[in-house]
Parts: sequence; structure tokens; C-alpha cells
Amino acid sequence: MDVILGLRVADATIIATSKAATRGITVLKSSDDKTRVLNPHNLIAYTGEAGDTVNFAEYIQANIQLYSMRENDIELSPKATASFIRNQLATSIRSRKPYQVNVLLGGYDVASNTPTLNWIDYLGTQVELPYAAHGYAAFYCTSLFDRHYKKGMTVDEGLELLKMSLKELEIRMPLDFKGYYVKIIDKDGVRDAGSL
Amino acid sequence: MSGYDSALSIFSPDGHVFQVEYASEAVRRGTCAVGVKGKSTVVLGCEKRTTLKLQDPRITPSKICKIDNHALLAFAGLNADARILVDKARVEAQSHRLTLEDSVSIDYLTKYVASVQQKYTQSGGVRPFGVATIIAGFDANDNEPKLYQTEPSGIYNAWKAHAIGRSSKTVREFLEKNYEEGMDDEKTIKLTIKSLLEVVQTGAKNIEVSVLKPGDTIEKLSVEEIKKYVEEIETEKEAEAEKKKPRSSDD
Amino acid sequence: MSRRYDSRTTIFSPEGRLYQVEYAQEAISQAGTAIGILSTEGVVLACEKKVTSKLLDDDGSAEKIYEINDNMICAVAGMNADASILVNSARLYAQQYLKTYNEDIPCEMLIRRVCNLKQGYTQHGGLRPYGVSFLYAGYDERYQFQLFTSNPSGNYSGWKATSIGANNAASQTMLKKDYKDDMSLKEACELAMKVLSKTIDSSNLKGEKLEFATLSLSQDKKKIIRKIWKASDVDLLIKDTGVLDKIDEE
Repeated sequence: MDVILGLRVADATIIATSKAATRGITVLKSSDDKTRVLNPHNLIAYTGEAGDTVNFAEYIQANIQLYSMRENDIELSPKATASFIRNQLATSIRSRKPYQVNVLLGGYDVASNTPTLNWIDYLGTQVELPYAAHGYAAFYCTSLFDRHYKKGMTVDEGLELLKMSLKELEIRMPLDFKGYYVKIIDKDGVRDAGSL
Repeated sequence: MSGYDSALSIFSPDGHVFQVEYASEAVRRGTCAVGVKGKSTVVLGCEKRTTLKLQDPRITPSKICKIDNHALLAFAGLNADARILVDKARVEAQSHRLTLEDSVSIDYLTKYVASVQQKYTQSGGVRPFGVATIIAGFDANDNEPKLYQTEPSGIYNAWKAHAIGRSSKTVREFLEKNYEEGMDDEKTIKLTIKSLLEVVQTGAKNIEVSVLKPGDTIEKLSVEEIKKYVEEIETEKEAEAEKKKPRSSDD
Repeated sequence: MSRRYDSRTTIFSPEGRLYQVEYAQEAISQAGTAIGILSTEGVVLACEKKVTSKLLDDDGSAEKIYEINDNMICAVAGMNADASILVNSARLYAQQYLKTYNEDIPCEMLIRRVCNLKQGYTQHGGLRPYGVSFLYAGYDERYQFQLFTSNPSGNYSGWKATSIGANNAASQTMLKKDYKDDMSLKEACELAMKVLSKTIDSSNLKGEKLEFATLSLSQDKKKIIRKIWKASDVDLLIKDTGVLDKIDEE
């Protein structure tokens, strides 16, 4: 029941995740950060089976970090990172106990100076998209994005659109997500854009 | 012919494990590496083999390796062996982060590297690593610089300043004579380079220096920066020689 | 008595040397020459073939030059049987990386992996080290065209121009003298031919006894072209550079 949204604008990618950590009908925590920084220009946001999610994200994080160490601080590109994550999930789904994790990967490709957003699910589906969401939020927000997303939007316009979507969730969904963390990934790396 | 040095790592009747001793010889044949601890920095320096004119400097591997954001390792000995050891250390550093959510302490990292080296002195069908390492860095949330050394035997020690590899004895003696407690950054870097100049005759182009500071700061000095230090050291030396001269004529 | 340190698996001698590895390197310094030169437009690999016979059928495969993946080729000096095992591993690593990351493997990473394999045989297993040195020519996004060598110890290094195998010292002196940073690929090929002509027997200086391969960018700079030359192409280069005429004059 978590909300994770991603939006790619002209020179950055924005990721928003809900702060509530829930178990059944109980809110356990209202300051849960569902993202991990993989390397200076890659951020993973996750949702799915509690436990699996953090475990998987941190496993990916360790591997991406190891790659940077081995390669003298050369970062793995967002495209390669997405492929790596896809590969891990595709292997996992064919194992005895697969990870039930869906992720969004927000990145900025330093080589080509382009922001990227990858949508990956637990089955090993991987697509590069301008905007994306996992879970119930996708049903409400995709249509809004379809209607209001414009190519070459600025970060501020993107944040506006995101606010609009989050408001829609508040109106239509019978749940309180306890607010959202917003992260921006651009040429300078990953930064916190506070919470909405 | 005793035969106690031809099989892999076994004791001879007088208590030597020859393969380990011979591995240390391989270290002594390697290029020199130095580590010096200052008040709030730790500096690693390396002798760099003359880069031949046709060598491609972009892609020739360095002898100071980053193990994690807060730790560096410099080695002396067989390059290929070191690569394997460094890779094991890197994997351990990340695996430690994954299981404990904290970065490895420099002490832990040293123990790990030393234990891998020890294992290769006692396992069947393997020869020891022909590598000695200097490991430097800072622990998480700590501003105290750390400096360690490991040997092919698996012995490890903490040092204030240390040297391994070719002519390391000369360098170590130099460091013993010139080391001061609580040196600032500049002084620490200078002492590192000065000690390396004891064995490196060709100056800045054959020296490699990395500086570690608290908060995951690792700086690799450029050739120009090193050159500046080398020139400074040389003028100081000359000035000192000048000072000595008239006195010797007085005698 | 000197055989005490070199009869069994790779172990340290009292001076801290690995004789097995050094002997393997010794064997390679007698193998056919291979030269590699980096230019602004690409890389050339050139080698001398050792096994030639009129009865040997030409199935199109080269003796000492192998393709590793879409943007890497390598030349071999030493034991060819060992080489084909290592080339096989290299090809496998390249495809594994491509499968995992959907990107071509960076040259240095591939070479490091092959070298780690080589290093393993100098430290454990009780087997002899691989008796091969390689020249790798490659292209990647990080550093564009690159040239590497690796040897049986598992060491590798990057070069602008270098040589392995017989007479490598003489070749390298010549390369050092004549190499220029702004050479075109054609000039690099000519230099390779010139160096070969001076280090090998002139009776061997013909297309069927030499192997040439080049790595370059396509016209639109989007694709890497790996070209293993035909004997006739090599003959043409011999004629162009006029190396044979010079020898006759002398």
C-alpha cells in the first residue's frame, strides 16, 4: 500500500515515496524512507513485501558500491544499473523463494547528460519511462500524468505535477500515507527536496 | 638438500616455514610504499616504476587502491597477487556494510586482509601471497587517523609511520629519525615524500601520493603538486648543506 | 639442485621469485613476434605466423589473432593451446557482462578478469601457469581505443605501442623511436610492418606468413569495425610500405 512515483523532467528525475510503514491495518512508522542511494547519480525506490524490500535494495546498493570500488570510482550508468537490477529479479523469480519487490530507478547519465527513470517489477520487467508508479498509486496518478506531462518540463513544473497527483491520492484513496519524501537526481547527484 | 622448502608451506626441523620467508623476499623485490600518520590525516606514498615512454598512463593500474570510501591500501610485492587480495578486501568491506550497516573499521579490515594472507600459509596446495600491505583510513564517526601493515605471514601491526618493499629499511630508519607526533597535513605529506625520496632518485614523476582526511575525503596528489613538494624539500636540503659548510671549514 | 624450485607447482624460490612463471615468460620470448600500435583512429595488431605449410588448409581462421567480442580483439604469443582456453574464458566473461548490464564490458575489466584467472594458476591448484602473453586491442566508452598486454604472471598494463614474443626488446626500441601520438591508423599499420620487417627473417615477409588485424570506427562513428586481414591485403601493405625493396637495396 505504499506510494512510489517517479517523474522525468528536462534535466532531472524526481522520485516521491510515502512515509508510512504499515503492517496490516497498523501504521508502524510515519518517517520511513523507501529509497537507497546506489551511487552518486542513481537512486532506487522500492515497494513490496516488507523485509524483502530493504533486503533487496541494500543488496543492490552493496553490489553497485562494490562496482565503483573495483572500477576506481567510475559509476555504473543508470541503464546498466537498471539491467543489473532486472537481472537480479529475473533470477530471483526463478528461485525457490523469490523477492517480492517492485522498484523505480531514478538516475542521471553523466556520459550523455540525460535524466532517466526505469520501472522494474518483481517479475523482471524493465522499461525506461518518462513517468511511472507502482502499486495502487499507479491507477490514480498515471491518468493525471498522461494528461499533464509535457516534454521538457522544468523541475518546478514537475514538482507541481507531483503535488497535484499526491493531492488526488489524498482525495480518492481511503488511506493516510503520512506525507511524502521527494528526491531529485540531476547532474549534481541525488538531493533531498524535503517532504510534501 | 633438505626438501623442507620445496613442498608448500611446511615446517622445517629448525622451525622455519620457508615459503613464507621467501614470499617476504618477493615483497622486498617490490617497489617501495610508505604510510605516515599525522594529527588529522594519514598519507600513503608509493614509488612508481618508471613509466616507459610508450606506456599509456590512463589505463596502467595504480599501486594505491581504494578499498572503501574511507580506506586505502598500498602494497609492495607481486602485482597480480595484490590485485586478488585487494578484491577480497573490497568484497569484505561491502559485505560488512550489508550485514552490519556500518563501514568496516580499519582495524577490522586489516585483520581480515591478514587472515586471508595467513590462510594461504597454512592451506594445502597454495603458496603464500607475495605481498605486504599498508592499510590506512578513518573509522566511521572518528577523526583519529589509522595506519596498519600486514605481511605475507599474516602478521599485522599498527604504525605511526611505516615503509614496505624495496629499501624499506632505509626509509623506515629515516622515518624513525624524522617522525614527530601531531604533524599537520602539510608536514605529513612532506615527510611522506621526503622519506620516499630516500629511495626514489628520479623525483616527482616516480612518486604517487594519496591523502586521507576524516569524512571519506581521499585526495590523490597530481604530479605538479608532488613536484612542488619535491622542489621545496630540495631547496631545504640545499639550505641545510649551506649551513653545514662554513661550520665544517671552521673545524 | 637448481631444479628444486622449479620442478613442482609454482612456489617461491629463496630470492622470492616464481621460477615457473619466469620460465613461462622465457618460452614466450621465443614465440612469434606480435606488435600492437594505438593510433588516433584505431588499433593495429600484427604478428608473425610460425606454422606455415603449403598443405595447411585455409579455413578462414587466424592462427594468432582472435576476436573476443564486438569491440575487442587480441593477439597471442606463446602456447596456442593455452591461449584458446583463455580466449574462451574471455569471450564468456564478455557475454556474461553484456547479459547482466546490457552494455559492453569495459576493456580493462575484461583483461583484469582474464588476468585474475592467470594469477590463480600461479598460486594454487598445483597446475602450471598459462604459457601465454596477450596483446589486446579494444574500444570502450571510458577511454576509447586502448592497447593492453598481459603475461603469464597475471600482470597487465596499458600501452601506446608495444610488442611481445621474439625480439620484443628490439621491436620496442624501434617503436619508441618512431611512434608519434597523432598517427593515423594507416601510418600505424605501416609502422607495424616496418618494425616487423626488421625483426623477422625477410623470407617470411609475405602475406601468408603474417597476420594483421585492425580495430577502427565506422564512418558514422557508431560501430566498431574488427578487420582480420586477408593475405592479399597484407601483401598490398608490404608493397605500399616498400619494406622488401629496402631490404633488397641493402
